[in-house]
Amino acid sequence: MKKNGIRMSTLLICSILAIVLIVLAAAVLLFSQTYQQQLIQTARTNSLRTVTQVSSTVNDYLAEIKTVMRMLGREMTDSEEERAEFFDVFLRIRPDVVAVSTYASDGSLSHCYSDLGPPTGIEADGINLSLDTDRLRSESMGYVSAPHVVTFFQDKYPWVITVVQRMKDESAERWIALDISCSNIATYISDSGIGRRGYCFLMDTNGNIVYHPQQQLIYSDLKTEDTAFISSLEDGSYVEGNVIYTVRTLSNGQWRLVGVSYLQEFLTESLRQLGSILLLLAGLVLLATLIVSAVLSASISRPLRELEHSMEQFEEDADHFSYDPPQQGVREVRRLSASFQDLVLKLQQLMKTVRKEEINLRKTELRALQAQINPHFLYNTLDSISWMCEQGKNAEAVEMVNALARLFRISISRGHELIPIRSELMHAESYLEIQAYRYKNQFTWSIDADENCLDYLCHKITLQPIIENAIYHGINGLVDDGEIRVSVREDGEDILFTVRDNGSGMTDEQIAAIMQKEHSDRAGIGIKNVNDRLTIYFGPAYGIQIESEPDQGTSVFIRMPKVKEEADYEKK
Amino acid sequence: MRKSKVRILLSLLLLAVLLLSACGNSEGQATQYKIYLITKSTSTEFWRSVFAGANAAKAEYNVNLIIRGPDTEENYTGQNMYIQEAIRNHADAIIFSAISYTENAAAIDEAADAGIKVIVIDSDVNSSKVSARIGTDNIQAGRITAAAALDTEEAHLSVGIVNFALVSRNGQEREIGLREQLEKDERVEQIYTVNSLTDHDAARESAISLLQEHPEINVLIGLNEPLGVGVAEASEELDLKGRVRVVSFDSNIRCIELLRSGDVSALIVQNPYAMGYLGVETAWKVLEGQSFRPDQLIDTATSIITQENMFTVEGQKALFSFG
Repeated sequence: MKKNGIRMSTLLICSILAIVLIVLAAAVLLFSQTYQQQLIQTARTNSLRTVTQVSSTVNDYLAEIKTVMRMLGREMTDSEEERAEFFDVFLRIRPDVVAVSTYASDGSLSHCYSDLGPPTGIEADGINLSLDTDRLRSESMGYVSAPHVVTFFQDKYPWVITVVQRMKDESAERWIALDISCSNIATYISDSGIGRRGYCFLMDTNGNIVYHPQQQLIYSDLKTEDTAFISSLEDGSYVEGNVIYTVRTLSNGQWRLVGVSYLQEFLTESLRQLGSILLLLAGLVLLATLIVSAVLSASISRPLRELEHSMEQFEEDADHFSYDPPQQGVREVRRLSASFQDLVLKLQQLMKTVRKEEINLRKTELRALQAQINPHFLYNTLDSISWMCEQGKNAEAVEMVNALARLFRISISRGHELIPIRSELMHAESYLEIQAYRYKNQFTWSIDADENCLDYLCHKITLQPIIENAIYHGINGLVDDGEIRVSVREDGEDILFTVRDNGSGMTDEQIAAIMQKEHSDRAGIGIKNVNDRLTIYFGPAYGIQIESEPDQGTSVFIRMPKVKEEADYEKK
Repeated sequence: MRKSKVRILLSLLLLAVLLLSACGNSEGQATQYKIYLITKSTSTEFWRSVFAGANAAKAEYNVNLIIRGPDTEENYTGQNMYIQEAIRNHADAIIFSAISYTENAAAIDEAADAGIKVIVIDSDVNSSKVSARIGTDNIQAGRITAAAALDTEEAHLSVGIVNFALVSRNGQEREIGLREQLEKDERVEQIYTVNSLTDHDAARESAISLLQEHPEINVLIGLNEPLGVGVAEASEELDLKGRVRVVSFDSNIRCIELLRSGDVSALIVQNPYAMGYLGVETAWKVLEGQSFRPDQLIDTATSIITQENMFTVEGQKALFSFG
């Protein structure tokens, strides 16, 4: 079977797959192209929204602190007792305030109000991180500090941010400092995540981090923020690589809230979702393709292949081919198969008819030939008989006439096609007798037959054309005595006639010419006719075989099956 | 022909199944790792800071963190029991600080053989099956301690060292670094070492008896947090401020107060928060398939804090934990 060319089902599967994959790839590409921008936009909007929310909360808180500072400023004009009473309540309702301290114009601590106890720590070493006197020189109206620990107390060092404000002139002290707990600020910022990993942090305009949800990580050098870069940004949202920075300056003008979120997680999240959907689709399509291909294979390509196979078988052996059209497959294929079946049947019918007609034709032809009498032979024989009578060789003439009569009787055989081998041998004998007289005993002859063979049937006038050939082409013109030997033997299931002469022999070309010649030289049946008759009636295994060597002689073998009754043979 | 077709069909089917299973996988979240953090103790500020760092990383990496620590810093059998517990509960990783360099080794090997990744923080264990080591470079910390101790004008120095259990690797390494530097200085005339239980009361008593036995001692060093508190308290109790230079370890609030008051001259401050955080982070990374070189310590910074720098920005960051 030829292997070149693509199978239909393969072609179908491949094309379906290719189309699906191209469509999927295009979909992915289109999606990522279209949605990436949208996702970035969404991420920025998200970030902006969160930062705006947080900043408004922190702004509110800062406004509140401002109000508190104003209130505290007014309170500082009260007497010591009233103040103590006020702070007692104030500190209790404001847990975000760690300490309130006031300072004289030289920066020395006047009062410190706190729930954490008396400022014994600062009394010991004088270190106060809640008031930066250097900074007051430049920012005399007050400032908001960076995170620091409170040094007022013993054993307690909470992290705070200090709001320092200059007091009204009428109050006794010059400065008031409010320490706000960093963990309180954390409540506004820590929980405001953007996406899964995004967060907000607070820094001042110089890029110092005021509060970061992972402050301890930053303090432990395990995390850094590129504050130098961020502080160079105007308010707004920026995409840097896969990080989105959203910066917003708070209402106090000193702090900026920074939202940090990661683009990748938005993108990868969405793309992964899309990816899984697409993969699922691809899987389903693959499955569908498999099913379709199975169906196609069952309904088209397999029946077609079977049809193709049947055709090949038909080509190889048309006679014994039988075709059973398949019951499955699409209509077109089934029609094709049915047509093929018709074709097969018609062709086989046609072949049978042709063969029968040919055989009939040949039979008729052969019968016509058998009926013919070689006029030269008859004339010569009668001439010989007449000469014998003139010479008074009556006994010989009688023998001759008898032989001729026998010859003709057997030739006719009451119209039978087949005659017993015994009769055929008599026919050959009569012929040889006549010819021996005519050739004035230029040759000797013998017939040697196996008794078992004599009752089998054979075609009449099988041997005579061969003997005729032996006489005319072998013996005639031979200087020495010629010799013709005819024998009949059983050869397995066959019967083998042999006609040998010691004549001049034949070349291969001559043999071929004899086997091709339609008629004998004069008339009647030729060697080719005998051979054709055997092959047509009994098959290609039977017929005539000639072996010859120039100047040595020729052997002709006639092979035919054992035929018992004429009916047997007629059947074939 | 038929066979090849079957093969094609099968391979296509396989591809489809693979694709489908890939979809399933991409949707499923990674499982939460179970990580044991087994420390020497749970009570000191040092360890609380380790826990704070570990918890920060736990939240960030979404792991199931189980913290265990024995009652005393000498109880290595307690630690081994926790290791067994981790093995029984099919932990994915153990973050471990060994009380005993040798006695914890077998248990750690067993855990490693059970497929548990072992990350050592703070104090090492004698095992070749540790995935990563994180913490203070203790020999370097010893040298820094020596530098802090020798930062004095005194011409003649006698040094008293209060160290913890001999079996603990980090304490021994600190002493090696410390002695190496002390012995280089010709002002140092005597070095006395006393080993104390890791408890500030015990350390105080040890320090007091050491000081009484060797009154010439004018430099006193405590090599971890409880011992640091102990020697500081001993100095305070004997009123040796100005006469004995005290160098302590870590940022216990008592030590901070005594540093502020001048009873303690310097604090050697490690970065326990980083140890906890990096411990969990590294465990997660190891479980995710990243590999580390266990022979190369991931060094968490160590700094000298004195009265002068304790309230600088860096000093505050090192001494006072945030929230």
